[in-house]
Amino acid sequence: MKRGIPLTMLIGLGLCAFLPAMWAAKVGEAAPDFTAAASNGKTIRLSDYRGKYVVLEWHNNGCPYVGKHYKSGNMQRLQKEWTGRGVAWFTVISSAPGKQGYVTASEENDYLAKMQAAPTAALLDPDGAIGHLYTAKTSPHMIVINPQGVVIYDGAIDDKPTTDLSDIPGATNYVNLALEETMAGKQIETPTTRPYGCSVKYSDAKH
Amino acid sequence: MVCLMRKIMCKAKCLSSIGLFTFIACAPFGQAASSPIPHATVELIAENQWIAAGYTVNLGLHFQLEKGWHIYWINPGDSGEPPRVKWQLPTGFTAGAIEWPVPRRLGTSSIVDFGYEDGVTLIVPMHADAHLAAQQPAQFAAQISVLVCREVCIPGKAQVSLTIPVRLQSPKTDSRTEELFATARKSLPRPVPVSWKFGLAEEKGSFLLTASLGHQVNHALFYPLVESQVDNAAPQTLRPTASGFQMTLRKSDQLIKPIERLKGVLVLSADQAFLIDVQVGKSDAGTNGYSVGTYPAKSLAKGEQK
Repeated sequence: MKRGIPLTMLIGLGLCAFLPAMWAAKVGEAAPDFTAAASNGKTIRLSDYRGKYVVLEWHNNGCPYVGKHYKSGNMQRLQKEWTGRGVAWFTVISSAPGKQGYVTASEENDYLAKMQAAPTAALLDPDGAIGHLYTAKTSPHMIVINPQGVVIYDGAIDDKPTTDLSDIPGATNYVNLALEETMAGKQIETPTTRPYGCSVKYSDAKH
Repeated sequence: MVCLMRKIMCKAKCLSSIGLFTFIACAPFGQAASSPIPHATVELIAENQWIAAGYTVNLGLHFQLEKGWHIYWINPGDSGEPPRVKWQLPTGFTAGAIEWPVPRRLGTSSIVDFGYEDGVTLIVPMHADAHLAAQQPAQFAAQISVLVCREVCIPGKAQVSLTIPVRLQSPKTDSRTEELFATARKSLPRPVPVSWKFGLAEEKGSFLLTASLGHQVNHALFYPLVESQVDNAAPQTLRPTASGFQMTLRKSDQLIKPIERLKGVLVLSADQAFLIDVQVGKSDAGTNGYSVGTYPAKSLAKGEQK
């Protein structure tokens, strides 16, 4: 270490650089708790869902990768299938006001109705707090949490990182795989992948 | 339609009055034309005036982007996707892998992407069979899928084509595209000098890259070739040493298994970029003999390139 730089400053810099990483969600670790306002007016606290599987789906209605999964009905199918099997499915919108994908509660409710989407709730995260807590990089970035509150999948929705609707039928859906495997008591074969899509439009996204 | 000639001339002296002149000047050539994609154009160009049997000639996909918009590198980083090319080749030709120029770091403090702004030429070597019988022109076509982003992203598709004469004489450089290919080649990463040594130690949350280059290095940037190994947005901490540097690279959150090697592009300065391939836990030579352009896992099947 170079002489002349105060030690306290170095420690300070170190802390600043690593704090977000320390708190970020990682596969195999406890899913950080959060409280969020849902578009349906309810307040959702993650820890209230202990005992259930939880899926977090990062969403931006203007993103072509999200569009691929909603226009095809793929995301809605997944939501219906898994909530039908007792999974809590939260669509999370971390777009900052003024950025692509930002919606008010009523706009989101209109979107959910129009798209016939069926998540347990859509969570409004305009300050990006939940997004940063889970280091959500893209829409659709997918997180799966087990009933013990541990992150068991972190990554892409499937193995076709494109905007082509025609890629959906032949794709391997990682969320399905993770949930099927874990519910069957098996080890999840692919617990992490690169979450493809559009960058999450946090307030620090340049315009 | 923006013609290539105009772009080259505009680089020299961008006067609005030359528009008409270049339009006329471009028209007689007419072998290639740029195709529109969202906020950009793409054009298939050739480095040589003609092709001959047994030679490998370079074609190029030249993207010209509107200000502020970008496309992506082979490893796009945290978001986005690289351009994909599906070739329709004439009989007797084989396409090589795309040679990706050094990208730029794009994005924000929390999401970092790798890509290209303004203009970029992706060189693709095209090999003509030694028994190429044809005397008739070779027609190359490609279907391009590309994601063009500023803050928002728009997917685009384009069909480009180019007809090149086939002759018996060895191919001669085309002065109309010389500059674009020269620029593209200058921006390609190079193999590392044989005397350079690299080591990679794996620590709990990070990799420690040690470089012995024979001189102190104060600035360096690493672009990982393989996704989900290195945290793209984390600061790359560089510690200069007498013989080079040590760099700390934070591991990606998505990396949960040990890796065997770390491959990527090491940029030391604007015109000094090198391909490195370092084995974890070994202090060894930088590359394992894979050359510029032949990036890993880019096998070619039926002329399709992903």
